[in-house]
Amino acid sequence: MRVFWILFSYEWRHFRAAKGLVLLCGLLLATGLYGIYYGTTEIERQRQQLATLPELTHRNVEELKVKFPGPTDAGDIGYYHSTFAVHHPDPWAALSLGLRDVNPTYVKLRLLGLHNQLYASDNTNPMKTLTGNFDLAFVLVYLLPLLIIALCFNLLSAEREEGILTLLLAQPVRPATVLGAKLAFRAGIVMALAWLLSGVGMAWAGVPLDIRVPSWLAMSTLYCLFWFGVALVVTAWQRASAVNAVALLGVWLVLVVLVPSLLSLGVAAARPVPQGIELTIRQREEIHAGWDKPKTQTMNRFFGLYPQWRDTTIIRERFAWRWYYAFQHLGDQAVASQARAYAQGLQQRYDLVETLNLFSPAIIAQTSFNALGGSDLPAHLAFQRSAARYHDSLRAFYYPLLFRKVDFTHADYAREPQHTFTSQSEMPTVRRGLSKLLLSVTAVLALGFVLVRRRSILPH
Amino acid sequence: MKSIAQKEFISTLRDRRFVVLSALVLALLLTATLVGRASFRTLQRERQLAQTTVNDQFRNQPARHPHRVAHYGSFAFRPRSGLSLLDAGVDSFTGSAVYLEAHQQNSVNFSQAQQSGSLIRFGEMTVAFVLQLLVPLLIIFLCFGAFTQERETGTLQLLLAQGTTLRQVAWGKIRGYCQAVALVVAPALALAAALLFTGEEFASNTDLLARLVLFGLSYAVYFFLFVVGSVVVSARQASSRAALVTLLGLWILGGIILPKATANLGASLYPTITKAQMDAEVHEEAQHGVNGHDPHDQRAAAIKAALLKKYGVDSEEKLPVSVAGVQMAAGEAYSARVYQQHFAALNATYEQQNRLSDWAGLLNPYQAIRPLSMGLAGSDFTHYVHFQQAAEAYRYGLVQRLNGLQASMGYGDKERRLDAHTWRELPVFAYRAPNLHWALPHLFLPVAALLLWAMVLSWLGLRLISKTSIA
Repeated sequence: MRVFWILFSYEWRHFRAAKGLVLLCGLLLATGLYGIYYGTTEIERQRQQLATLPELTHRNVEELKVKFPGPTDAGDIGYYHSTFAVHHPDPWAALSLGLRDVNPTYVKLRLLGLHNQLYASDNTNPMKTLTGNFDLAFVLVYLLPLLIIALCFNLLSAEREEGILTLLLAQPVRPATVLGAKLAFRAGIVMALAWLLSGVGMAWAGVPLDIRVPSWLAMSTLYCLFWFGVALVVTAWQRASAVNAVALLGVWLVLVVLVPSLLSLGVAAARPVPQGIELTIRQREEIHAGWDKPKTQTMNRFFGLYPQWRDTTIIRERFAWRWYYAFQHLGDQAVASQARAYAQGLQQRYDLVETLNLFSPAIIAQTSFNALGGSDLPAHLAFQRSAARYHDSLRAFYYPLLFRKVDFTHADYAREPQHTFTSQSEMPTVRRGLSKLLLSVTAVLALGFVLVRRRSILPH
Repeated sequence: MKSIAQKEFISTLRDRRFVVLSALVLALLLTATLVGRASFRTLQRERQLAQTTVNDQFRNQPARHPHRVAHYGSFAFRPRSGLSLLDAGVDSFTGSAVYLEAHQQNSVNFSQAQQSGSLIRFGEMTVAFVLQLLVPLLIIFLCFGAFTQERETGTLQLLLAQGTTLRQVAWGKIRGYCQAVALVVAPALALAAALLFTGEEFASNTDLLARLVLFGLSYAVYFFLFVVGSVVVSARQASSRAALVTLLGLWILGGIILPKATANLGASLYPTITKAQMDAEVHEEAQHGVNGHDPHDQRAAAIKAALLKKYGVDSEEKLPVSVAGVQMAAGEAYSARVYQQHFAALNATYEQQNRLSDWAGLLNPYQAIRPLSMGLAGSDFTHYVHFQQAAEAYRYGLVQRLNGLQASMGYGDKERRLDAHTWRELPVFAYRAPNLHWALPHLFLPVAALLLWAMVLSWLGLRLISKTSIA
């Protein structure tokens, strides 16, 4: 053990002297800090944008109060009044932005049919969303392995190529101890960097201290260990530095770039989703046919769903708001099963990726980080369900006014239901990710140890 | 020089590692082409079918009031460009369908990215992806030892002793490597071209052919840059290991870190206004006038007064036109103008955000080839905006024709409907993607950046080589 510590301390001196390596670590630290800065400012910007929405609703209400000074038909208000369903980020989203820039963070809703409002997208710059986010998760998943590769590709080969290994192995040390000390030293440095960045990120984002803190740290640690395992395997293979560098970068390319993009193609082909556009076309057809159908037919279908309004007066006039909103709702009803199939199809795509991510620890880590941040597809689907429930509650608020012919007064604006939704971390996904990563780490480290045992380390 | 080129070419082909790697790259290119074509066809079919469906629905409407038809509206689906099967560009991150209706301009919805999990953030396996990132990596593996190996084995001195100059050696090597790279990439591109032009939809399309030729040429320049750059680095570095590490470091910096950093920085510097905020502002200006002194109600009243005066009558009933129809047309013209200003401002913001990345193309060839490639493929942001504008032009034209029909119905139009055959005479949405001539001016910067790189590297790089030490 004493030999191990001697070697360890010499590695430290060696490291301090190697300007290139210190520079690389500094570079990673800088990119990590930028990632944290970008993630937190991006989430802060989203929070600020969401905070302006009540002001827009307020302006809308003020305008309506001028337009309709006295008590008025609730149908008019339902038509002109808009509110927002809002998707607030969890503080963890700042560390892993996921799809929060691709999917809209709010939905503008009126009392009209839900499904031609629910899928509206926000203004986004496609060049930016294509390029992706520079958040802490990106630094940990993409760049940290590259640092590990840079630190480890010439672990023994450099010493061999410089002729030092012969001298070293002539001393009374076991080659495995040399290798162990070198790896442990580098693992120490990288782990310290990862923990430091994670700590800074958590403090900056102001995350609550709960089970997710150790989960994030465990995830980063296991992911680093996996890459050290790969480095161990390649080192035990004992080739020239250039070959090691190519091999390690090849593994990185396969696991971080090729497998994910091929998997993405495979999943899209294996789980085709019924196009969302089909359901909006169908809904439009249903709603507009409502104008051309006899009113009693529409109302009877509607009363089948809402028998409590059956005893209301028969519509004899050319236009009545309660008839209008009845066929809006029937339009939604006509596509309800399609809408469910669409959401389920998306969820199934996500689930299939989660099942198949065992092929690449990078995908495991990225999905788990996003699950922790509540910033992936399931969070958005949960938000959409929540927005749909909000739309239900709006209808429940307006229907009595419409069907009992009670006028809408200025005081009613304040009684209208409000919506708020904050994404939740998907802890089951995180736990599954942790156990899968643990499995990968064990497998790759075991392979490394076997290789080190089998192939004795040679000085030449 | 020729014999050096030949030597490099042959010894490359004999190198097993290179053969395996290039077989891998070739396989990926072929997979990407085939998969690209399959997904292209599915999407194209889906969108064409949807467009035909909504067009038929529009034509076969029953007797309706024209303003009801304006609210019924239509959809515009964005057809994918032919070459987008090689480079999908921003297509997966832009919406595919926009609902066209009276009074408002809707967002383009249902992007591919919104229909998949965050896995799509790892990047898509397209031909462009292989060509932009993986082939350069192959070139680096091929060329990093160009000079260092000769130096390490001492053959460089022998070569120079025969009277050749360093510059000649370098050019010979560059030529040899270029041949080897062409051998890997050309078959895949030829196959892609064959696949493209055997599909009946593209037969005898000269614009597409011209785009494909320029596409191939740009990548030829791009690969040439990497070959020359790698040879230069190899000449300037002391050992093969140092050369390889330097080149890989540059690849990571240029291919992974810089594009993301510049895109994110651009977005932080020029924040985007939300759709909700923008719509509220548009509504405000359309209601109260752009300057706040020209409210909608006053404008409507002025129109009515002008109509009464024009026809010399004293009440609305005696007018030959429907006042509501004329007011509607004027309102639409006003709000469309307001929308246009706001969309122009939004697109200007996007352009400001992207400009940082475009200028970074001068420092980083990857950020030059990327916009150039998608621009030629017709899948970049400019082409997307062209579609948006075409959809809006159609929407505006349609709504105004319907408003015209309403106006011509005269007083009491609300009680009446127009015959079903009226809707058959209105045009349906048919999108024609812009041609190369339209696209080229937008691609000036990336083209200039690539050519500049090629010239600077061939001139300065080779000068550096001839000054390099031999031993």
